[in-house]
Amino acid sequence: MKDSCSSISKLLEKYFDRETTGDEGVLVEDHLRQCAACQAQLKSMEELRATLRTPVDKAVQKETFAWVWQKVEREIQDRPKPSWRESIRAWFGSSFPFRRRVWIPAVAAALLIIAIGSPLLFKETPSQTELSIVEYVQSDTNNVMVFESEKENVAIIWLFEGTEGDSST
Amino acid sequence: MGHEEADLISQCQMGDQAAMKEIFDKYRDKVYRVAYGVVRHREEAMDIVQEVFVKLFRTIGNFKGKSSFYTYVYRTAMNTAIDHVRKLKKSTSLSFEDEAERYLSDGPEKRPDQVAMDKELEEKVKGALAQLPDDQRAAIIFREVEGLSYQEMAKAMGCSLGTVMSRLHYGRKKLQQLLRGYVKEGGKT
Repeated sequence: MKDSCSSISKLLEKYFDRETTGDEGVLVEDHLRQCAACQAQLKSMEELRATLRTPVDKAVQKETFAWVWQKVEREIQDRPKPSWRESIRAWFGSSFPFRRRVWIPAVAAALLIIAIGSPLLFKETPSQTELSIVEYVQSDTNNVMVFESEKENVAIIWLFEGTEGDSST
Repeated sequence: MGHEEADLISQCQMGDQAAMKEIFDKYRDKVYRVAYGVVRHREEAMDIVQEVFVKLFRTIGNFKGKSSFYTYVYRTAMNTAIDHVRKLKKSTSLSFEDEAERYLSDGPEKRPDQVAMDKELEEKVKGALAQLPDDQRAAIIFREVEGLSYQEMAKAMGCSLGTVMSRLHYGRKKLQQLLRGYVKEGGKT
């Protein structure tokens, strides 16, 4: 075994498994040309693979799977009918909108909208009975207009001096 | 996972038997290879195939499509096969002699001494595989028997590429030691 074998040993298995990059492959092949020990290691891995795989290849060719499918089918059909709870759970699990549990954020968003929107929806509007009163009084010297709001107890009085201008207090 | 397979799986989830048959036909050889690779026994392998597909179809509603379906199948097959061997160890030993007689011979053209040698080797392989830790055995079967890439193995075994390579390395090394005399050990340790 050469000193360079230790640096190539990790790559040798990758090379054998066809997992090396192009450069790594070239490196291994260059080394293999001059190293009998690594060639023997590669050969040993090939033998081991054949020993493990060949009987499996032979066995699978001889099999017929029709009867296995019949047994599988029978076992699936024989399964006791799911309860309504299981059915609902299965439906929630398989139906597309529920498959990724999108319903959790959807419900959260709906609750948030209700929480924000309900004060606006149920906000009291000013009743028709809360009417403001406007009075207009005419005299020879001044004209007066009084605006009185019932709700906030606010009164605004305008005094008009003749026809030239107006002032308010 | 392609659209076609995703559709098939959706149909299976709704209980469509024809879709299940298609899935069965697509994956049966792969499952069998994993099963036979682990147990080295035809009838046991067929029992495992049956168990794997019943499990798959009964739990297919839980498959969310986060991973590829084939990794889900391989993982189920390997776990079932390893569990099977574990249970078997506790109960009875298989009639390996009969099994090897029936399935290792390539027909009347094969010489009796060759059949005997194959039988002996297969028995040895089975014993050696049984001595590997579960994760190394899984790596060996996935790579050497089923020919999965490191990436596919990492997904099926739920580990990193480095772990895959390490399991393969130690698994191969141990098998070469255990099968000394049947498989050449290579030029270095």
